[in-house]
This record gives sequence, structure tokens and C-alpha cells, in this order.
Amino acid sequence: MSKRSSIASWFYILLLVVAPMNAPAQSKEYQIKAAFLFNFAQFVNWPSGAFPGTNAPFCIGVLGDDPFSGALDATIQGETIDNHKIIVERSQNVADLKNCQMIFVSKSERKHVAEILSALDSKPILTVSEVDGFAERGGGINFYLAGTKVRFEINPGVAQSDGLKISAQLLSLGKIVQSAKEDK
Amino acid sequence: MKLMFLTCVVWMLAGTISILHAQDNSPPSGATGTNASPSAAAGPAVYKNMSLEQLMNQDVTSVAREPEPYGQAPAAIDVITSDEIQRSGASSIPEALRLADNLDVAQKNSHDWAISSRGFNTSLADKLLVMIDGRTVYTPLFGGVFWDQQDYLMEDLDRIEVISGPGGTLWGANAVNGVINIVTKSADETQGLYVEGGGGSELHDFGGARYGGTLATNIYYRVYAKYFDQGDEVLTDGSNASDSWRMAQTGFRMDDDASAENHITAQGDFYASDEFVTTGGQAHTDGGNILGRWSHTFENDSDMSLQTYYEQTYLADPIPGNTSPIILKPAGTLFDDLDTYDVDFQHRFHLGDRNNIVWGLGYRFTHEEDIAAPALAFVPGTMDQNLYSGFAQDEISLGRNLFFTLGSKLEHNYYTGFEFEPSGRLQWNITSNHMVWGAVSRAVSTPSRVDEAENIPSIIPGVPFLKGNTNFVSESEIAFELGYRAQFGQKVSASLSSYFNYYDHIRSTGITPGTIIPFVFQNNLKGETWGFELSMDYQILDWWRLHGGYNFLQENIYVKPGDEDINDGFNETADPENQVFLRSSMDLPYHTQFDLAGRWIDQLTINSGATLATVPSYFEMDARLAWQATKHIEFSIVGQNLLHAQHLEYGFPGPDTEEIARSVYGKVTFRW
Repeated sequence: MSKRSSIASWFYILLLVVAPMNAPAQSKEYQIKAAFLFNFAQFVNWPSGAFPGTNAPFCIGVLGDDPFSGALDATIQGETIDNHKIIVERSQNVADLKNCQMIFVSKSERKHVAEILSALDSKPILTVSEVDGFAERGGGINFYLAGTKVRFEINPGVAQSDGLKISAQLLSLGKIVQSAKEDK
Repeated sequence: MKLMFLTCVVWMLAGTISILHAQDNSPPSGATGTNASPSAAAGPAVYKNMSLEQLMNQDVTSVAREPEPYGQAPAAIDVITSDEIQRSGASSIPEALRLADNLDVAQKNSHDWAISSRGFNTSLADKLLVMIDGRTVYTPLFGGVFWDQQDYLMEDLDRIEVISGPGGTLWGANAVNGVINIVTKSADETQGLYVEGGGGSELHDFGGARYGGTLATNIYYRVYAKYFDQGDEVLTDGSNASDSWRMAQTGFRMDDDASAENHITAQGDFYASDEFVTTGGQAHTDGGNILGRWSHTFENDSDMSLQTYYEQTYLADPIPGNTSPIILKPAGTLFDDLDTYDVDFQHRFHLGDRNNIVWGLGYRFTHEEDIAAPALAFVPGTMDQNLYSGFAQDEISLGRNLFFTLGSKLEHNYYTGFEFEPSGRLQWNITSNHMVWGAVSRAVSTPSRVDEAENIPSIIPGVPFLKGNTNFVSESEIAFELGYRAQFGQKVSASLSSYFNYYDHIRSTGITPGTIIPFVFQNNLKGETWGFELSMDYQILDWWRLHGGYNFLQENIYVKPGDEDINDGFNETADPENQVFLRSSMDLPYHTQFDLAGRWIDQLTINSGATLATVPSYFEMDARLAWQATKHIEFSIVGQNLLHAQHLEYGFPGPDTEEIARSVYGKVTFRW
């Protein structure tokens, strides 16, 4: 019994080693971040003036290179926020995304953060990024990794001054940061 | 044969599901649905239905099972993640420890377990150091752990790090064959309301709740409470073992993240439990602990932490009467009351470009009072102990990919005075995905109250049947280890750890010349053990992961030439030579998870004191099916030890031996 079982287990482990390996699909990190974006949309209230019309969609803009590889589209597909259908728009130019309610600023734009934020200043748009210091520089929410887990910083002053209402639950889960003195 | 059969069944089942899934082009919620790893529930369709709090607890690495820095630690470490604990359906910490490939976990009855690593898994096993959030939980009564006193909401466990092999250099006495470090989540990771409840055939009913909130910006807290009612196990003939167990526990944790340089944690737990004992009577235990820790990061990339705790435990344990004609004592109750005060300081800094130094100081004071039962006493009944310790360790970079770590602990304990526990470790990162490590270490198991103060009276006044030995010395070990850890592509990771250990001064039992009794504990055994532990994870598909583990152990413990042991060297071991673990984790459509875990445990030889007996090998299987019905509610059903109505894991086989029955329970969890 003992010997045969050992052989069986070795065989099993061997099978695992030689079985073919598939290429990775969407990264788990960005699937999780996409789900965060979807959650942010639910935990923030936009003023009615943020939408061009009552039937207008809720737009999530991706500015710069899209790191989500389809995970964001898969996340929001068929979903609505307060009866606004959620859509994703992509652009390399912030001006194209000014009708969006949320803009994800890709890492590829890290050198242009100041220009982007000044272009969006005082508009009711929630800016989200993953560039170090984004929230301190006047961004709304910034992802960072704590070990292997996704965390976010939130700058409540910026968001609220633009007319957005952020739920207490979101504030309690994020790390609160304030705008650095030299900005604004 | 059964294992072969199961292997085939799992593969066929997997193949079938894989085909079905491939044909299913319209998964729920319109999402693509098959993109993430099952280790954390799969794909955008699943993540988007998670609460923020759940999202914050997802590991972004899908294959690396051991988040940094564990993946790079030059030791035989197996990290059990919170996700694995949830998916296993474990309802207690000992059940969760079955997930570690480098442990031997044997359940004795409803409320007792024998848990060890690399052998020596006896009733008085004393070679494992167990900590919960930095609090050492082995008892100075026998150097082992009362596993029935260690509980949490499984939901609030962040991870369990199981290190097999000696850890004495960092952790001190008793870390001879392994260290188990149980870590709960930080309070900021447990925000919001969580409620669970359920019941079943063995775990009759249970419930728990936790609420986490903020006291001020970036200052988080949680409070929790739980209870359970564990039913009776069975005797060999299938009759009721009358060993049911009820326990309630409550506690809190506060984490202050307000400043970047300082982190403050305060936490405490209080519990009470009642256990029926199959030999008659009812055990009661209660206790609590309170712990504070301050960590500070300095500007030059160095840090320190200062921790202190107080713990109180109380045990009233029914001791059966002894009908041996030379003892003849009635049943009674042993009371053990223990207070522990502990302070621990640690500092880490860099010296030059090549040295990463950690050093620390510790002090522990214990006050223990034992009130004897007629058939079991501790003499003296009251004992105060001081434990002073210090350690230093230097990790030296010998090159870009080669590290040498040298260190030692120096301890002063009540029984044997100074103990020295040095180790040297070499780590070579061949590539970023392949690492080889080796270590040579010395570790000791210092005497416990059992070794020095146990006293079983006889019918002759003043002459005990068995007594402890005030000259008992520390059991010592020299360990040689060699390990390899690798990541093959994106999907396969593996770890192999091998060891060769020399032991000396292992506990034996001798006679008193001339009168035979009292029997007395001595240090007359020595020996060697060797073996290896293999772990492997394979992410077959984005939604399906397999895990395999194999643990091989050889022990050769013998009486030193010219010395004696009335147990012929058999009393300190009760270990399976081979253990095989297989697990499958699947994320299926409609927000369901399906997990299977099989384990084959080899036979083990156990000593009754007079004759040897064998606990037969067994194969058992656990399963869990969970359905995340909405973002807030999850239903699950868990089956444990499904293959047999009952089976024996530990204990001397006989009509009165307790066996473990098949168990099924249902659970509902609610998060807000």
C-alpha cells in the first residue's frame, strides 16, 4: 500500500511538471484594479451637472496606454450607475475625455500628471492613477501596492472641491492624503 | 490503491469540467469570466462582485503562493494564505494547519490534536514553537500547545507561516523542529460588518460576527465575537465518545497608521471553553491576552519594534483514576493557572553596503500554580520562571545573488541556565526564479514542568510511581538542511526541502536502582532523523489550480549504549513515514467555487508504555462548494473526512479509542 501510493503520487507530480503551460491572460492585478474602479463609481456621488443628459452614459476614461487588456470592459459590461450605462473610452489626449465622470491616468502619462490635472481642475471628474504621489499632487485616488495587495490613497479635499461626494466607507478604507503645499 | 483511484477520479472530473467550461461561451454577467486564478476567485466577473474590503485582501500575484519576502526566504517555509484557509472549509486553526505540507496534524478527538513537524509527534510533543501575532503560545507545563485554547474567526486570519526545521536563532527554545507563526489581519483590512453562522453533523452550530471601523483618520479598529458547539466524536465500535466541546471567544484589535514612521497595534482576546472528556468528567479552560506593539521606521532604512503582552490561562482538567495496583488513585481534577508577562525589542539596520543586521532582547516572566489531582501532581505546585534572551543575526551579501546569514540566540532559562542556538545559512539566487539554500543550525528544547516536576503518586506514601528529574537537561539538535525553490514559467512553482538532524539528550524514562520506582525522566536517548518535504502548485487554467505535497520522514532514535529506557526509545515518536497531500481549487461559473483536498497519511507506531501498536494508514478527503449569491452573501457547504464513517488518526488502538467521524456542515456569510 505504502509503496504503491508513493509511486502514484510521484506520477501525479510528474504529470504536473510536464503538462503544457499556457500563456498568461489578463493580469490579476489589473482585474482587481478594474473592480476597484467599478466600486469607486458606486461609492462616489456625482453632481447632476456632471452628465450632459439624463440618458448620457457613465464614462470611464483611460488616458494613455491601457494596462487593463480588456479586464475593465469585462468588469463594467452590462452595468449601470444610477441608470447611466457604464462605458469605457480611451484616448492619449485628455481633451477627448472631458465628458467622462472618471479618468484613469495610466503610468504612461506619469510625466504629464501636472498638465493633466490642471486641464481637469474644478471639473466634476474623479481622477484615478497609479503614479507615485498622484494624490498629493492633486489627483483624486491613487493605487499603490502594499506587499501583494492593492491599496489606494485618497485625497478627499480635491474630490470634494470638484463637487463629488465620497462615501464615508470609501474614505475609511483608503489612506487619506492631503495636497502637497506646492500644488495649487 | 485508493490514492491511484482518487488521482484518476480527480483527473477525469477535471477533464470533464474543463471541456464543459470550454464549451460555455456565455458565462454569467456577460463577462469573460475565466481570467483570474482560483486562488482568489476568478476573473473580472467575480472581482466586480466583491466588496472593497474583499478586493483589498486579494493577492495580485496569481501563482507565487508565498508573497514576498517568504518566496525568497532561505528556509523550509510553507505559507498558508487566508484565501486557502477560507477555501479549505477549516473551522479551526488545527484544521487549517492540515494545509501545510511540512506538518503532521493528527486529530485525537473532538478537541485535541497532535501537531508536529519532522517527527516527535507524541502526546507530550515539545519541539515546535507556536506564535499568534508575536505572542508565544506553547505552555511551560509541557512545552507543547493546547490547540483547543487557540482560536480566531478564520475570516480574520491573514496567513499562517509554517517553517519546518530549527528556528532557534531567531525564536529561541522549542523552535527545534519548526515554527508556526499565525498572523491575523491588520484592523484596516477588516473594515465593515461580517457575520457568519451555520451548523452540521459534527460542528453542530456556530456563529461569529466582526465589525471594523475607524476611530480617527487612519486609525482602525475591529471587535469580534464567536462561539461554536462541536459534537461528540465516536469510539472504535461506533458508539458515542461523549467528548463534545463548546467555546466562546471575543476580542479586538486596533491599528494606528496615522504617521508614516510609527505603527501602533493593540489587541486582546478573551475566551472560555468547556469540553467533555471521554474518560469521564468535563474540562474547563478560560483565559485572555492583551498585547501592544510599537514599530518605528528610521530615515536611514532601519527600523525597530517594541512589543509587550500579558496572558492568563486557566485549566481545570479531569484526570482519570488509575487502577494500576501500584498506583490506585481515584479520579480528580488538575488545576493549572498560568500568568505570562513578556517584553520584546528588535532593531534592524544596515551596516555598510553588505550587512543587514537584526538584533533583539527579550524578557519573559511566568507564574504558574498547579493544584494536584489524586493521580497527577506537579511538585513544587507553584513556580516562577524568568527567561532572558538576546539574539543577533547578520545577513551578508557576498555578491549580487549570494547571501550568507550568521547569527545566534543566547538565552538564560530557569532550568538549565545559558543556552546557545547558532545557525549559518547560505542562499544563492541562481536566477530570479530559482533559489538554492542550505543551513546548519543548533536548537534546543529546554525542560518543561513535565520533565522536572511531574509526580504520579503510588500506594506507598512518599514514594512516587513516576517523578520528574531536577537534573533534566535540554534536548539538543544539530540540523543540516538543503533546499531548492523554483518558479517554472507563470504557472508552476515548487519547493523541496531536505534535512538531516542529529539529536542528543532526548527524553527517556529510567528506574530507580534497587526499588524500581519511582520511574524518573532522563536524557538517555539520541538519534537521527532525515527526510524531505516537497510542495508544488500548478495553475492549470486561470480558474483551476492544483497543489501537491509529499512529506517523507525517517527516524532512528535509540537508547545510548550503556544507558536504559523502559520504553526502548519508542516513547518520543509517533510519526507517519509518508504523507501525501493533493488539492484542487476551481472557480466555476455562477460565482461558485469548488475545492477538493485529499490526504494519505502513512501508518504510525505508537507506544502505550508496555507494548507497541500501530495506527493504520488512512486516506481521507475534504470538499467545499461555495456560492457567492450576491455581493454580500455567500453560501457554502463543507464536507470533512468524507470517505469513511469514522477513522483513527492517533492514539493506542482499542475499544475505547476515539476516532474521527465524517462531518458535513453548511455556512452562510454576510459582509457589508
